[in-house]
Amino acid sequence: MLATTTHVLRIHPEKCTGCLRCELACSYMQTGTFQPAKSVIRVSPFEGHTSYAPYTCTQCAEGWCMTACPVGAITINAAGAKDVLDDTCVGCKLCTIACPYGTMFYDPDTRKAFKCNLCGGAPACAEACPTAAITYEATATADWLGEFARERTARVLAGAR
Amino acid sequence: MATRHLIIGGGTAGMNAIRTIREEEGERSEIALVSAETPYSRMVLPYYLDRSIAESHVFTATPRVLADWGVKPHVGRRATALDTRANVCTLDDGTRLEYDDCLIATGSSAVRAPVPGADGRGVHSFWTLDEARAVLAEIAPGSHVVMVGAGFIAFTILNSILALGAKLTIVEVAPRILPRMVDDAGARLVEDWLTKHGVAIRTGAKLTRIEDAKGRKRLRFAAGGDLVCDVVIMATGIKTNLEWLKGSGVTVNRGVVVDDRLRSSVPNVYAAGDIAEGRDLITGEPAVHAIEPTAQEHGRVVGANMAGKDVHYRGSLIVNIVEVCHLDVASFGAWDDERAEIASGVKPDRPAYRKLLWRGDRLTGAIILGPSSDIWTTNDVGMLKGLVQSGVSLARFKAHLKRNPFDVKPVFIASKTTSALLPETILGRPSKAPGNTPVAV
Amino acid sequence: MTTAIVQAQSRTTTPSPARELPGGYAGKLLRVDLTKKKCWAEPWSADEMRELLGGVGLGAMILYRETATKGGRGNVSWDHPDNRLILATGPMAGLPAWGSSGLTVVTIGAGTNGPTSTQANGFFGTNLKYSGYDAIVIQGQSRDWVYLYINDDAVELRDAKFLVGKDTWATQDALGPQLGLSGHMLSVYSIGPAGENLVRFAAIQGDYGHVASKNGCGAVMGKKKLKAVAIVRGTKSLRAADPRGLVQAADDIGFDLRTDPSAKSLYEYGTLPGVVNLSRLGALPIKNYTTNVPPVDMSQWEAPKLREGFDHRGHQCSACGMHHCHMSVIRKGEHKGTIVDEPEYEGWSGAGWAIGAMSDIDGVAWLNTELDRACLDVNEFGWICGWVMECQEKGYLTEAQVGFRLTWGDIKGAARLIQMISHRQGFGNVLAEGVKRAAEKLGSPAKDCAIYTEKGAAPRGHDHRARWDEMLDTCTSGTGTLESGVPVHPAEIGQPTRINTFDGEAVAKFIAGIRGRRNFEDSLGMCIFTTRTRLENLCRVLNAATGWDVTVPDTVRFGRRTAAILRAASLRCGLTPDLERPSTRYGSTPVDGPAKGQAVGEQWEKMVDTWYREVGYDRKTGKPLPATLKALGLDWLAKDLWGKRASRR
Repeated sequence: MLATTTHVLRIHPEKCTGCLRCELACSYMQTGTFQPAKSVIRVSPFEGHTSYAPYTCTQCAEGWCMTACPVGAITINAAGAKDVLDDTCVGCKLCTIACPYGTMFYDPDTRKAFKCNLCGGAPACAEACPTAAITYEATATADWLGEFARERTARVLAGAR
Repeated sequence: MATRHLIIGGGTAGMNAIRTIREEEGERSEIALVSAETPYSRMVLPYYLDRSIAESHVFTATPRVLADWGVKPHVGRRATALDTRANVCTLDDGTRLEYDDCLIATGSSAVRAPVPGADGRGVHSFWTLDEARAVLAEIAPGSHVVMVGAGFIAFTILNSILALGAKLTIVEVAPRILPRMVDDAGARLVEDWLTKHGVAIRTGAKLTRIEDAKGRKRLRFAAGGDLVCDVVIMATGIKTNLEWLKGSGVTVNRGVVVDDRLRSSVPNVYAAGDIAEGRDLITGEPAVHAIEPTAQEHGRVVGANMAGKDVHYRGSLIVNIVEVCHLDVASFGAWDDERAEIASGVKPDRPAYRKLLWRGDRLTGAIILGPSSDIWTTNDVGMLKGLVQSGVSLARFKAHLKRNPFDVKPVFIASKTTSALLPETILGRPSKAPGNTPVAV
Repeated sequence: MTTAIVQAQSRTTTPSPARELPGGYAGKLLRVDLTKKKCWAEPWSADEMRELLGGVGLGAMILYRETATKGGRGNVSWDHPDNRLILATGPMAGLPAWGSSGLTVVTIGAGTNGPTSTQANGFFGTNLKYSGYDAIVIQGQSRDWVYLYINDDAVELRDAKFLVGKDTWATQDALGPQLGLSGHMLSVYSIGPAGENLVRFAAIQGDYGHVASKNGCGAVMGKKKLKAVAIVRGTKSLRAADPRGLVQAADDIGFDLRTDPSAKSLYEYGTLPGVVNLSRLGALPIKNYTTNVPPVDMSQWEAPKLREGFDHRGHQCSACGMHHCHMSVIRKGEHKGTIVDEPEYEGWSGAGWAIGAMSDIDGVAWLNTELDRACLDVNEFGWICGWVMECQEKGYLTEAQVGFRLTWGDIKGAARLIQMISHRQGFGNVLAEGVKRAAEKLGSPAKDCAIYTEKGAAPRGHDHRARWDEMLDTCTSGTGTLESGVPVHPAEIGQPTRINTFDGEAVAKFIAGIRGRRNFEDSLGMCIFTTRTRLENLCRVLNAATGWDVTVPDTVRFGRRTAAILRAASLRCGLTPDLERPSTRYGSTPVDGPAKGQAVGEQWEKMVDTWYREVGYDRKTGKPLPATLKALGLDWLAKDLWGKRASRR
C-alpha cells in the first residue's frame, strides 16, 4: 500500500503580494510555456487592489472530481493529490461541475480536464513564491483564505457602499 | 453463507454500487450483475462518435474487471420481473436469481417523436452504444444531419457531428432550444452562437412525418418547409425503465420512490440513478434527475448501505454542462425557480451570461454561460456549484453579487464556503481512487 | 460608439511567426490610428527583435522612422497627430524574472518637445504580452474621448465620455466593474485631469501607483484624446527557448538582489532609504534647493520607521519578489483609512522635502497619491510647488497672482495647487506649462529660483548639485530624463567603482563610460530595480528566453545605438547642444550641507566637452560622429545625419 502523504499546499494569504509568480510557475509545469490562463493556482484580489491570495485545490477528502469521472481518469498520485490521467480523460467536463471548489479546469486546446496534482510532490508554485506565501507542509488541509478574505473584503463587498 | 447482492443494471449507478460494496464490506459477499449491455459510460459516447477515442475506451468494466471484482455477470440479459416476497429476480431467458438484497438501476431509454416514419431506416436515437455505432456508420463528411430535439442530449453530440464534417440542422418543437437546461436569455445566446457557427436552427417546428426520398430522408413539418437530409437523429427525450417492475410490490411514482438511504418501499430493495425518485438537495422534494452525477452518488450510497453501513444521503443536486463550438453552458440547482430572487448579467461584447437565484441569502440556482476561453480562466463553474451545494449564508456578500454577478470568487472565498465544504463526503470517509477497488484473491 | 476591429484575420493574412519567433516575444505590434479609428496587428521579424529588443530600443526606432518632417530634417511636435505614442514592453515581460511587466513610453514629449523614454511597471507588460502584442504604437488624434480596450484578439476603441474628468485611480475603479474584471486580470494605464488638460508634465499612471511620468507623456495621450488603455490579461502563451534555464537565471537574479549588499536595502525597503541616505550626501532636495541641512529629526525618516507608520500591504509587480511596491493604509490624521500608494523616494522628495513638508509623513504620503491620481510628474510638481512657495516667501510672487497664500510644507495648499494645475485654473494655467516656461514667463528674479534644464525637462527628485553625474546626464540626455545613470556594477563594463564626485572631468568620463546599460535595461520589459544585477545575469536570462547569445559588450553597444537614435531624433526636434545646461538655480552652488561650496557651474563647460569627446558626439552640432555611428553599426544613421560627408569623416 502506498504511504499516504499528509503534505498539502498551505497558503499564508497575509504574505501574498499579488505578483502572480506562482501562476507563471504553475502554467509552466502544466503546459511547458508561460501562460497563466492555464495555471491551476490563481491569485485573487481582495479589498480592491490592496490584498491578494492564491487559491488552489485543497485535495479534499471527497475528491468530487475523482468520484464524478465516468472513465476513472482521475486518481490519487504518490503525493496524495487527485491527478488527471490524460490518456484516459475524454474531456466530458463532469469533474468541473462536480468540484464545488472551482479548482477543476478544462483546456480547450488539449480537450482534457486539468487540476493541481501537487507537481507530483514538489509543487512549483511553492518553489516560485518569493514571499513564502505558499508552503508545502505536512499538515491537514484547511480553508486557508476564508478568514483573511472575510476581513479584507469588509470595505468592498459589504453591501452597497 | 455470504450475503448475496443483486445489481440490476450495469450503468453508472450499478457499477458505482458494486465498487463501493467491495470497498466497504467487512466480509466478502457475492455480487451478481444483470446488464443488457456490456457496462460502458454513456457520458463518453460523444467522444466515441467524433472518433477521439476508440470503442474500447467506453467500457467501464470488461469481463476481466468484473472477474477481478468477483462479480457474477449476466450480461446480455434483461430483468423481466421482480418478486420481492420471494427475493427472486427473473431474467428474459427465464433465469431466476435469488438475492438477499438488490439494487434496481435499470435507468432510462430514449423515446422518439410519435410521427410516421420515426422508426424508419436512417432515423436514429443516440442513447446506447449500439445506437452510437449506427450513427457513426452513417455520418460522412458533407452529410446533412437533422437533429430532432434541442435538449441536453442533442447538445452533447453536437460538436461530434460537426467534427465529423457533417452539416447540421436542429429542429425543435418548442419555441426555444435547451428548454430543460437554461432559461430563455441563455438559450437565445446559445442559439445566436450556433447560428454564427453555421448550425441551422428551426424552433417552433412541429414534425409531422419522415419519408424516404431517393435514398435520403425528407422531414415534413406542420408549417411546411420540408427538410431533406442524409441522417435523422431523434433526441426527443427519455423515459424511465419502470415497466418490468409491475407487480413487484415496489412503490413507483415518477420513478422508484426511495428514502434517504435509497431504499424502496421494500426494505431490501434499493434503487439508484435515472430510475430512482430521491431527494433533491435544493427543494427537498422527491425528484427523478436522470443525470450522471446523481447516478454516481446514488450508486455509492446504495453500495455502502448494501455492505452494511448506514449512510444517509442528503440529496442530489442538478448539475449540467455542455459545450458547443467553444461556448460553455452550465446550470446548477433550481435555476428555473420562478419564486426565487434573481440577479443576472450579460457582458456587452460577448456571449457571456450569468444568472443567480436566491432563496433568502442562500444561492439555490445558477446559470453560467460564456466562451470557453473565458470560463476556464475563472474558478466560477465549480464555485457556483459549491455555493449552491453548501448553501452557505451569503449575508453581506449577496448585495455584491447582485451588483456584479460575474464576481463570484471573492464572495465564495470570503463566505468561507471552503470551510463549509471540506468536511463533506458522500460516504462519511475519504474517497478511494478508482483503481483501488479491492479485487478478489 | 464602438469601433470594433477584431484582428483575427491578421493571423491568416500574415505569415505565422511561430517557428522563427524567438522565445519571450508575442510576435506582433498593435497599431492604433486614432484619427481613422483603426487598430491592426503588425508582425515584426526575429531580426528586428534581435536588433531592437523592445522597450526604448523598439520605441526609439519607431519614433525616429515615423515622426520626421521636411524630408527627414525636422520633426513633428508633441501635439501633432503624427506624433507617436509608443507603449512598449520587452522580451522579459510575462516571464518569471522579477518585476517583468515593464512599460516603456516613448514619444515626443510635451516638456521638451523632444524624445521621451519613461518607464512604469505593474501588469501592463504581462497582460499585453499574453494578449499577443509586444507593444502598442498609437498615432493620430481622436475627435472624441476614447479608451483602448484589448482582450486577446478583440481590440476596440471605446467611448470614454463617462471617464472624462475622473482621476487615474477612479478611472481604473470604473473600468474594472464595468468589464467584470478584478485584480490583475485587468491592467489600466490612464491619464487624469492633468493629461486631459494637456499639462506639460502630465504623466501616465497605471495599476494603482505605477507612473510613467517624464516629459509630459500624459499630455501627448491627452492631445490624442486617449483616456486610458485597458488590457485584459490575455490567454496566449509565451515560450522560452530554455525554460528551465530561464527560471534558474531568474531565481539567480532574485538571489542576487536579496543578498548583494548593494541591492539588499532596495530589496528590503525599495527606495525608502534614499531620504536619509541622500540627506547625508547633500543630495536630498530641501525647500527648492535653498538648503541642504534637514531642519528635522531624521530618525523618523529611516526606512523601517516609514514602513511601520502605515498598515502595509504588498502590491508587487508581475513576478516580483522585491519588498518594494506597497499599498499603505493611512492610520491617523485627516486621511485616516485612506489607501495610498507607498511613496517612492522621489515621492517623499517631490511631495515632501522639495516643498518643505518634512514632518507630516501621512500628509506627504497622501499628497503623493493625489499627484498620481491627477497624473502629474511628482518631480516637476515638487520643483514648481517649491518654487511658488519660495517666490511667495521672497515676494517675487504675490498672493493675488497665485490666488492664495502658499507657504513651505502646506500640504493642503499643495493639493489645491495640484487641482489648479490639473484643470488649468487661474495661475494654475501658467504653472501647467511646466517650471521652465512658467519661470520664463515671470522672468527674473523669480526665474532665477526655478529648477529646470534649458531643454525644458525637469530633473529627477534629487539635489543634483551633489550628484553631478546625474545633472550632466539629465542635461545631455535624449530621453527627457536620466539616460545613463544610475550606475550599476560599473566595473563590469570597465568603469571605476568609485570616483571623486566633484571632479567634473572624472564625472563626465564616468557617465559617458556607463552609457548604454540603462537603455538596454529599459528595453527588456523589466524594472530598473530588478535589473540591478550584473549584466552577465541579464544576458543569461535574456538568452534563456530568446535563444540568443547576447554578451555583455553587446548590451552596452545596444544601449549606445539606442542613445544615438534618440539623439538624432532630439536634434531633429531642435534640442541642440546650447540647451544642454542647467537653469541658474539648478546649476548653483549649495550654500550649506555636505556639498556646500561645490560649484558645478565652474566645471560645467569642461564637463560637457569631456562628455562629448568620450561619447564620440560632435560638440558643435550635437550629432554623433560618423565614426561613432559606424562603430555601432549605424551606417544608415550616419548617412541620415551627415549625408555624403558621412564617409569622409
